[in-house]
This record gives sequence, structure tokens and C-alpha cells, in this order.
Amino acid sequence: MGKQILTTCPYCGAGCQLYLNVNDGKIVSATPAAGRTNEETLCLKGRYGWDFLNDPQILTKRLTKPLIRKNGILEEVEWDEAISYTAGRLSEIKAKYGPDSIMGTGSARGPGNEANYVMQKFMRAAVGTNNVDHCARV
Amino acid sequence: MSMGVPEIEDAKLLFIFGYNGADAHPIVARRIVKAKQKGAKLIVTDPRITESARIADMHLQLKGGSNMALINAIGNVIIAEGLADKKFVEDHTSGYEEYKAIVEKYTPEYAEPICHVSPDLIREAARAYAKAETSMILYGMGVCQFAQAVDVVKGLASLALLTGNFGGPNMGIGPVRGQNNVQGACDMGALPNCYSGYQSVTDDAVREKFEKAWGVPLSNKVGIPLTHVPHRVLEEKDEAKKIHAYYIFGEDPAQSDPDLAEIRETLDKIDFVIMQDIFMNKTGLHADVILPSTSWGEHDGIYSCCDRGFQRIRKAIEPKGDVKTDWEIISLISTAMGYPMNYKNTQEIWDEMRSLTPSFYGATYEKIEALGSIQWPCRDESMEDKGTPYLHKGGKFAHPDGRGKFFASEWRPPCEVESSEYPYSLSTVREVGHYSVRTMTGNCRALANLEDEPGWIQMSPADCEKLNVKEGDLIRVYSRRGSLITRVMPTERVKAGATYMTYQWWIGACNELTTPYLDPISNTPESKYCAINLEKIDDQASAEQFVKDSYESIRTNMGIDTAKKGV
Ligand code: SF4
Repeated sequence: MGKQILTTCPYCGAGCQLYLNVNDGKIVSATPAAGRTNEETLCLKGRYGWDFLNDPQILTKRLTKPLIRKNGILEEVEWDEAISYTAGRLSEIKAKYGPDSIMGTGSARGPGNEANYVMQKFMRAAVGTNNVDHCARV
Repeated sequence: MSMGVPEIEDAKLLFIFGYNGADAHPIVARRIVKAKQKGAKLIVTDPRITESARIADMHLQLKGGSNMALINAIGNVIIAEGLADKKFVEDHTSGYEEYKAIVEKYTPEYAEPICHVSPDLIREAARAYAKAETSMILYGMGVCQFAQAVDVVKGLASLALLTGNFGGPNMGIGPVRGQNNVQGACDMGALPNCYSGYQSVTDDAVREKFEKAWGVPLSNKVGIPLTHVPHRVLEEKDEAKKIHAYYIFGEDPAQSDPDLAEIRETLDKIDFVIMQDIFMNKTGLHADVILPSTSWGEHDGIYSCCDRGFQRIRKAIEPKGDVKTDWEIISLISTAMGYPMNYKNTQEIWDEMRSLTPSFYGATYEKIEALGSIQWPCRDESMEDKGTPYLHKGGKFAHPDGRGKFFASEWRPPCEVESSEYPYSLSTVREVGHYSVRTMTGNCRALANLEDEPGWIQMSPADCEKLNVKEGDLIRVYSRRGSLITRVMPTERVKAGATYMTYQWWIGACNELTTPYLDPISNTPESKYCAINLEKIDDQASAEQFVKDSYESIRTNMGIDTAKKGV
């Protein structure tokens, strides 16, 4: 049986509400919901924009495994290695040049508010710098 | 936005400034059409004949880069003709005399040679704006992506102050921005100068509150903006002041930032580049480590839409592959660096954020669930506080004295203007159907077919004739920073000498051309305007082959098996 998940369109700041119609663990369509800003309407992007989740590889492809550049080439690794390598290099750079030598970004796109909160907390509390910003300016 | 999106349709006058609603936000554009049907007057200020300009009562087709001069001239007319709301100015504002002194010289006759808009039209627009019962200003990237952006925004806000268009419904001033969650990233403190809820990192009381909650001492030094990174890598001589590591999360600077050649050099010079994203992208080609995350549709959370509305996103499907949510990945790195973070879900993160952010404290998950959308500020957890549809109620402003501050600034020309060598201007614009850096929509089958590489350059028919090119021809575009190939799109909608490109194409990547000049306050790059030259390509067949080859090589670089094309 299919199910309907109410969510917010990720394509612009209008914040339209829509239902993702899911069948067999796959999104099959999107239909407009009665959101405050959109009142049961959607534009093309809201209606068809979910398709990238099925990774049709038209332009680029989904990342499915952590990668570390080894001798110039990106190689697949396990999460443990990716995390300890990343944390290790960041700690090293912080020790050598100080926290203000590290820059981090938030994301104005898909990740959501909680991930942005965690990112700025990480930069401020764990790294120790206010060098955090996002692409609103760009 | 100081108002809510639904209020747009009830304003008596809409003043739309450098905002192309039909392309950027179709559903906001629908409200504009509705407002018009309900009898609202529509004034559009844009160098192009946009969809909104077509249905407008007045179109001020100003020359690109002259925003500030035009806004000052409108303020000048309102004051000179006695149309200001004197009571509002007296009771609720400060700085009026200084404002008046600056706009004094910007008579419509003074502005005309700068803006290329007739003095009569400027007067007519100023009168209509000042006299309407409720006037609302909507502005977009046409304002923000100039080096004089912050001045212009404050200038627009000053027009609303001058005419008492703050503090009630269906009025005010609204930025309508590009990416879906720009508002959210700002709300959550992904900014170098403030924590969540715009609480300043230099305010001792605020910092102490966060130090106590997070259990570590925090820096009181404002951080550097993203747009300063290239300088801090390529030009900074002091090793201690250089940026040595760059954690790029859900962004693609190697496609979206101005002056791409400089960005690529920057990424290559930084000791350590972390990329965390859902798709392989151009930044990934320069990354030392790539962390794959879940996408919209695969995780829970909250977005903030452009009118301050918190709304839920929900997980609909299981992610494929060995990926984690963004907050989990960051928490793991943090823990490994000796600062443990152990969140169970997004609600737990949200509750911590609320407890530290008074203006969002009342927006609980339960309440967002029940109401669907809550516009901040929302300070009280009880169901009574349903949020705030419009700001500055009763003419109260966030400044310590509660007054709205007037601001005027002299007009400055764009940093790079046309010359004999680069005789055309280029502005970057947005397009229906494709989103930002395109890894998402470019991978949607129904949307990818809308347009295809290498994109288009909009030119006036007169310029096409002069260069002897026609629709669909490939043409070479040069600036002082780079060159690219794109297709000719003649259109009556633009003036001779001005050209427009959308920024999401990979081969025709207009950011190869744009300038890295920044607004001194917002640090926004001036990507709306630079000087270029155009060159007809005689051998169209080999240019077509070049485009085809470049497209294939980009796809190969992104790890796509070329044989799979068209799947
Ligand atoms: S449906 Fe269209 S207008 Fe609505 S949020 Fe999505 S992209 Fe924006």
C-alpha cells in the first residue's frame, strides 16, 4: 500500500507544502497540499523535483560511500576511517595554526535548520572560531 | 520579509524591485497576479521586461547598477511634494534630517542620466507609492548581487519608513531570496557574526549564555565571511592568518561562486578540503575527503521559508547507500575531536536551539505540527502564541530605542563598467525549472529536458544584428577573467548593450566571467554586473562538437558511465 508524506518543497523560499506519494519505498508522485503560502498549488519544480531521489544520473551521481583522496585519487573508505581522518586533520591544523585557520559553511539548501545549528555549534564550540557562513551572499 | 507571503495579494500597491517572481518563485508570483486582480497598482523596477513588468502599471526600466540613484530620487520626490507620513516619521523613526540632506540633490532630473528613467515616470511612481493606502516593497537578487546592495536595501526600507508603510498588515518590505533555506541558515546562526536568532557573538551576555550551555569558552571575534576565503588563501602572507582547512557543507562554491578560476585555485591551495553533500559536484573534484549525506526526502527537520515561517520536512523514503544525516556526520567529527555531541533526533537539536533563542522559543515541534507553519518571532510555548505574521507591529523596531532608522547613501557606479574592449554589460539571472547549482533538478528527468547545456545568453535584436548572429548560434563570451561558449537568445525584453545569462550551466558557467568585487558590508559579490565582449563563432560545427565533448567529459569526471546517458 502507498503512503502520503507531508513535507516542504526544497526548491525555493516560497515554502510550498506538498505530499510525497510513496509506493514500495519509492516516490511515485508529488501532489500539492494546503500550505499557508501555496494553498494547494505547486510550480513545475515542486511537482517534478523529487525525481533526483531516484538517482537517474543525468548530470552527476549520488554519493553513496565516504571517499578519501589517496595519492590524488578519491578512494572509497568506511565511515570510521573517514571520520577519524577528518577529525585528525582538523585537530592537527587547529593545533598548528589556531582555530581561526579553519572555515566552515552552513547550507542554505536541503539539510535543514537543525543541521545548520549543529554546524555552527561545531565550528564555535569544537573548533573554536566564528568562521562560519553560508551561500546567502552568492 | 517583514510581512507574510499571503499578505502580498491584499496590498494596495506593490513596488517590485529587481525581483523576477515568475522565474524565481512562481508561487509568490501568483500572489502578485492576484493582487493585481484585486485592484492593486503594480510598479516594477527592472532593467529587463520581466513577466511582472508586462502586467505592471508602470515599468521603470532602469540601467543596471543605478538602483541607489533611483531610490534616492523617489525619496526626494516624496519629501519635496509633501507626501511623507509626518506623524509616523516623528513618532517611530530616527535619522530623518540626515536622510533628507542626502536625497536633496537626487531630483528626478539629476537621476535621469544615471538611471535612464524619465523624471515624469520617477515622479509618478513616487506619488503612487506614497499615496496608496498600503504599499509593499518586494526585492530580489537584482538588488542583493550588486556591490552597493546593503545601501540599496536600507534605502528601500527608508522609503517604507518615510511613508509609514511599516507596522500593519499588507505593507512593509520583503526580500525574496533564491535558495530555499537561506532564511533558515541565517536563523540558525550559520553567520560569522551571530548565533541562532541573530544574537551577536560580540555581546558578552549572549556569549556567556552560550558558553554556559555548551560548556566551553567561545570566541568574541567576528568570523570571516565566505567571500573572503579566496583572499585569505591566495593573498594572505601570514601563515597564521591563512585559511588552512575548509569544511564545505551542502554548497558548491566551485560552481556557484563568482570568478570560478580564482575559486578553483583557492580550493587547490587549501591544505584540507572537506565536502559533505548528496551529489558529486565540481567542488568535489578539489576535495580531500567527501562525506555522503542523506537528502531532502530522506531526513526530518525544519526549513524557514522566506517570510520567517518554520515548516517541517519529513523523511519519506530510506536512503540508498552508506550515507548518514548531516547532523550525525558533524556530531561524529565533533566527538572524535574531543567535543562530544550525541543527539538522538532533530527534535532534540531543535529543543536545545529553542532553549538558547528567545525569539524562537515558542515554536515547538508539536506546535509546528499542529499549525503547519509558524512565523517567528514566537516567544511563548503556549498555544496562544501562534507567531508573528508581520513585524514592527504598532511601529516598534528592533533598535534599542524602538525606532526605525533612516538611511541614505550616495550612488556609486558598479565596480566594473563597459569599456571599448569590453563594450557589453552582463548580468546573471535565474531561470524557471533549474535550481541553483542544478545537481538536484539537473537530475530530475522531467526538469532536465527543459533546457540543455550550454545555456543561453539573452541579447537585444539590435546587438544580434550588429554581430550577425541568430537564435541558437553558439557564441563566445569574454571578460577580464575568463571565457565560455553559450547560445544566442535574441529578445526584445533587454536593452541594447545589456546581456543576461543564467548561472546554473556547467559548460556555459557564467561565473567564469563575473567579478569578485564585494559589497563592503554584506560581502555579497557583485555578480549581477560585469563588462564583457562577444565574438561570433564562424565554425559552428566544431563549436557544437566542443560543447558535446565538454558535456561528456564533465559527466565522466562526475563518475557517470557515459554509456548510461539517457537512462
Ligand atoms: S513549488 Fe515552486 S514556488 Fe513552491 S516552493 Fe517549490 S519551487 Fe518554490
